[in-house]
This record gives sequence, C-alpha cells and structure tokens, in this order.
Amino acid sequence: MPLNTSSGQRALIAGIIILGILFTAFFGMRAFRAFRRFDGHRPAPPGNVEIVETDVGLIRDWMTIPFISQTYQVPPEVIFEALNISPRKDHDKSLKVLNEEYYPDQDGFVLNIVKETILAHQSPPIPDSVPTAVPPLTAPAP
Amino acid sequence: MSEFLLTQVINYGAPLLGILVFIGGLGVPLPCTALVIAAGAFARQGILPWYTTAIISIVSVVIGDSLSYSIGYYSRDKVLQRFSGTPRWQQAEQSFQKWGFLSIFFSRFLVTAIALPVNLLSGTTRFPFKQFFVYDVLGEIVWIFGYGGLGYWFGSEWELVNEFLSNFGGLVLGLLIFGFGIRQVIKWQDHIKQKKVEA
Repeated sequence: MPLNTSSGQRALIAGIIILGILFTAFFGMRAFRAFRRFDGHRPAPPGNVEIVETDVGLIRDWMTIPFISQTYQVPPEVIFEALNISPRKDHDKSLKVLNEEYYPDQDGFVLNIVKETILAHQSPPIPDSVPTAVPPLTAPAP
Repeated sequence: MSEFLLTQVINYGAPLLGILVFIGGLGVPLPCTALVIAAGAFARQGILPWYTTAIISIVSVVIGDSLSYSIGYYSRDKVLQRFSGTPRWQQAEQSFQKWGFLSIFFSRFLVTAIALPVNLLSGTTRFPFKQFFVYDVLGEIVWIFGYGGLGYWFGSEWELVNEFLSNFGGLVLGLLIFGFGIRQVIKWQDHIKQKKVEA
C-alpha cells in the first residue's frame, strides 16, 4: 500500500485495526470458552476402534440408525422396531428426517425413543474378573 | 448444512468426503474442517477406514487447490488490465513472491477463510506452481492428519475440538488483520520521521 496519509486512508486503516480488534476479541473469547470446555474431557484410550459408547447424550439428530447401532453396539433392528419404522428403506436417513417423516407432530420424538431404547438395551457393565471364595487351583506340592 | 453433510458422510464415506473437500478447495464455502475432524472420529468408531479416507481427502483437496490456482493463473490478464503498473499491485506481487509460501502453508489449516484468495493470488502473481504444490501438499497433510487426528483422538467428543479450532482460526485471522493495520501505522510514522529529517 503506498504511503499516502490522506484522511480516507487513515479512516480505512483505523477501520481495519478496529475490525482486527473485534475479530480477536470475539473469536478469542469463544476459543477460550471452548478450551475451558475441554476440562474434564480427555481423549479416549488408544486402540484401533473406540470402546463402545455409553453416553446417550452424545447422540445427535444428524446421525443415522446404523451409525448409532454400530457406535453403541445395539442391533439396528431393535431401534427400528422401537420406532415402528421399516429398516429397508430408511437406513440412510437421519433421526431428524425420520422424525419429520413419521412423527411430524412430536418434535424430538425419534431422538428420545432412540436414547431410551439404547439405555434399555445396554447391559450393565460386567467386571473383568468375578471375585470368588474358592481359591485358585494350584499344582500339588511334590 | 453441516448436519446434512455429516449424515451423507456417514452414508457414503470417504468418496463423498473427497468430493466435498475438492469443492471446498475450489472455494465453495463448506464446513470442510468440521467434516475432516468428524471423519477422524468416524474412523475411530470403525465407520471409515482412516488410511483410505486420508489419502482420498488429500488428493482431492490438492486437486481443488490446484484448479483454483489455475483460475488465478489464467485470469491474470484481466486482473492486470485493472491494476497493471500500480504501485499497490507491484508491492503485492513482490510481497507474495517473498512470503507467499507462508500464506499458502498456513491458510491450508490455520486460517482456512483466506485459502481461496491465497490460491487465486498465487496464480495471478505467477507464484511458481512447483512451490505452490509443495506447500499446498504440506499444509493439507497437516490439515487432514492433524485435524483428522484430533478427531480420531477425541472420538465421539470431536465437536469440542471443532468448536475450539474454528474459533482459534478466527482469532488468528483477527490478529492478522490487526497486525496489518498496526504495520501500516508504523510505516506512516517512519515516513513522517524521514520527511522531518529531510526537511
């Protein structure tokens, strides 16, 4: 930019600086807030495939039933049956679309039913080793 | 828009993600960063094969970027008709030849909002294509493996990562705009001082 200090140029640069400050303040605050939300959220332990999800609060209405089924390890037929929907033609539709098509009068109905079905279907966690009163078998002393 | 595209990426996988990042590379405003982070999470959940998805995405986005470079390259004459010989244009051209590689690299992942103007400017200023290609590929590798890797790492909590990174990109853009304004003010002050000394 040429070194012209006309009032128009000065106003333009002042505008640019103000815009920069506004952008920095706005996105800086949002980034800081988002960073704080990381608190308590740690990456899942390493592995090829994520451990089975149990928090139904993470289900979103853009998800499809086969996707939810795989993530939460619940057979898709169980979810489709709970919704009273055919799995043949609707497997690629999001929960939002399914809600609009089948339950237009009940906002969020499909999402809630899916969450309830998964909670009902997921079995309680089983401990790795069941404590027992019987001592483990050992080889007899020679 | 984002939600619709996320549903389609679940349904059609890596090929669709490749098409979307290609279109994004051409400058169509799509939430590509969010899709890349989500794709990392989907790979973690076993929905997408991470290796194939990463390769398809990098190849597609680099083709898109190269096409937008070529749009700038072939529209040079029209741009020159408007700006040719002006000190502003000459300064922009010289500056881009010197520092263009940084803007190419960082606009791939950190300040994606300026990626398209950078591609067009690279072509228009005749920034060497080989150099453009190298820094483009390096930047896109950071984007796909870095951002996608964070999605993979955080799994189903990828939305937090996306929220932070998209705002952080805006913050960097704000700092760049602010820095540009301050730099101009400093230049003016130096110019005034120089004039006083000469007088």
